[in-house]
Amino acid sequence: MLTINHLGYRYPHTPTTALEDVSLTAQRGGVLGLLGPNGAGKTTLISHLGGLLKVQQGEIVIDGKSLAAVRAQTPTRIAVAPQEYAFYPMLSVAENLACFAAAGRLHGQRRRARITACLGFAQLERFADARAEHLSGGLKRRLNLAIALLPEPELLLFDEPTVGVDPQSRAFILDAIKTLAREGAAVIYTSHYMDEIEAIADQVVILDHGRVLRAGALDELLAQDAMVLTLAADGIAPEALIEQLSRFGTVEKFGARLRVRLNTTPAIALAALDAAGAHVREAEFGRGNLEQLFMSLTRRSLRD
Amino acid sequence: MLAALMKKEVLALARDVHGLAALFLMPLIFIIVMSLALKNLYGQPQRALTYAVIAQDDGPLARSLLNTWQQAHGAPQPLPADWQRALRAGDLEYVLVMQMGLSEELALPSLPTQPYIQLLVEPAVDGNLFNALRAELSGAAGELKARTALAAIGATPQSATASMQTLIHGARFTGTLPRAANGAFNFNSLSNGALPNGAPSNGESNGESSGALSGGSPRPSAVQQNVPAWLVFGMFFVVAALANLFVEERSTGALARLQSLGVPRSVLLVSKALPYLGVNALQATLMLSVGVWLMPLLGGEALSLVGISWGALILALLAVSLAAVGMALALACAVRTHAQAAAIGPIANILMAAIGGIMVPKFVMPPFMQRLAELSPMNWGLEALLSVLLRGGGPMSVLPHAARLSGFALLMFVIALALFQRSAR
Repeated sequence: MLTINHLGYRYPHTPTTALEDVSLTAQRGGVLGLLGPNGAGKTTLISHLGGLLKVQQGEIVIDGKSLAAVRAQTPTRIAVAPQEYAFYPMLSVAENLACFAAAGRLHGQRRRARITACLGFAQLERFADARAEHLSGGLKRRLNLAIALLPEPELLLFDEPTVGVDPQSRAFILDAIKTLAREGAAVIYTSHYMDEIEAIADQVVILDHGRVLRAGALDELLAQDAMVLTLAADGIAPEALIEQLSRFGTVEKFGARLRVRLNTTPAIALAALDAAGAHVREAEFGRGNLEQLFMSLTRRSLRD
Repeated sequence: MLAALMKKEVLALARDVHGLAALFLMPLIFIIVMSLALKNLYGQPQRALTYAVIAQDDGPLARSLLNTWQQAHGAPQPLPADWQRALRAGDLEYVLVMQMGLSEELALPSLPTQPYIQLLVEPAVDGNLFNALRAELSGAAGELKARTALAAIGATPQSATASMQTLIHGARFTGTLPRAANGAFNFNSLSNGALPNGAPSNGESNGESSGALSGGSPRPSAVQQNVPAWLVFGMFFVVAALANLFVEERSTGALARLQSLGVPRSVLLVSKALPYLGVNALQATLMLSVGVWLMPLLGGEALSLVGISWGALILALLAVSLAAVGMALALACAVRTHAQAAAIGPIANILMAAIGGIMVPKFVMPPFMQRLAELSPMNWGLEALLSVLLRGGGPMSVLPHAARLSGFALLMFVIALALFQRSAR
């Protein structure tokens, strides 16, 4: 559905590019997880899709047509649910929905039907007459979601939609987004919560400094770390533990644990440690972790 | 779409108590307070001043002069023992000293060569008031001298109503003079003291009649001056309310969301402009109603709309409203934070009001400041309203001001659109 080819963008009067040679695709029925530290270029990418920035380099294509042409003809095919509470706090939930429904060119019976459907989807019926400013954080996020769904968009962009909500609301929002994808929408989902991306995304793109560092199916990305053994052990000096493990691969410290990219089977390595008198407290093997991949790609230095 | 966006603006404003207070309560309070405070400025304030008399000359002509003065100014205060301190402190506003020899001087058939009356005013009395007192006193003494001289030469006794005052008829001219059969202007019709539309004259005792021979516009008063002035000021205060919601929309991302839904920028601006034109219309109705009905109940004079051109009034108000809303849109697009919106709009308004003749009437300004005042759109609006409410002007007299205000509004709208587009890039 969405194809971005070699997209580049530089804000006026800035020395560095916000996006450089970014390419990705998002398909109907799937969720594309977009990861990146602060300043990676996620917001710039979303602003392009929301029609707030014009393409400087490269192209954005939707079903074979340029984004500009699609936006000029039917801007409501693409919806952005921004990180902020993008509605009017002084208006009620129903008034907000009515305002944005009209802005999305919904009229008459269809407008009423969509407002009712979106209230129901976000389970906001009981709060229809409540002023948005009086809603809890979770309800505000659900209103943000409901507004995005009003014009029945084919491509949905969620920018950190679970910031500041309780676990119940978070689970609700994630389920709702998965449902939307199952029903045929293409979803792009950005978050700093790696577990959310692991739970929801089929495809993942990791951005940093405006460039794509890694892109692919989530399972494939995680499988790249399949031969990594992560463990913690007592009864042996740390230096001796590292020396033992170094015989079976490259070792790096990962907090209180050690990570070994094995060149043999984990059984052989664990048996050797046992023979050396170490008591393995915990061990993890067989599947990589998105956070580990993200941190190894983007490094640990603070971004802002 | 436009109707829904306008409804959103109206709901947002209706729920903004501070914004409503700034738009409706603030100009209303200004009108009431300033009209009552300046009530005497457009009347004859010298008539109500407290004064005392030091009558060193007790002769018949000095007493006669004092009697004439009392008829116009009321009885003097008893002279305090420390009258000099009282005068310096403003407890007395002036003291008349009728020096020895005054009666003899008034009886002489020649012009005086030295003072016999001392007019001592308290330090805060302004120059205009001092000159008015001096001129009135000089006129009264001159008339008394003339009457005495006429009696001395045996002229026909004067009637009780005969006076030098009747020689001059003053009128604030707002209408047109009719011509007599021979084509000459009929000036005599000016002094009949009644307005052609049958409204009673507000004629004042010094021979000034109100209004015009035709057109019938009311005489200047604090209310007549302050209602249009503070109405214009209040109408321009839509800047703060409009800019605040705009900043809120931008900071929450609601504006970006509307744009991503494909709402054109021009529609967004128009959806903001139209409700505030309505707000301005409500303000105008409220402020004019306050002038007409509330001010008399509070002890002020009533705003008179008798005989005005309603078409001209609506044209003037519409032009002011367009200018105010245009400027509000431009400022709303220029500011980025609530702090900027709360500071820049009101500061710009106050500056425009200060130089534009809202806070201080233009006619009391020196020539340089008067020229500066003409640069302020508030002054254009005020002049347009004054030409309707005070000068009996019709649509043609308002047109130059309305054209300037409309041109300003158009320029502001173009600037707003350009700033809006730039901010979105």
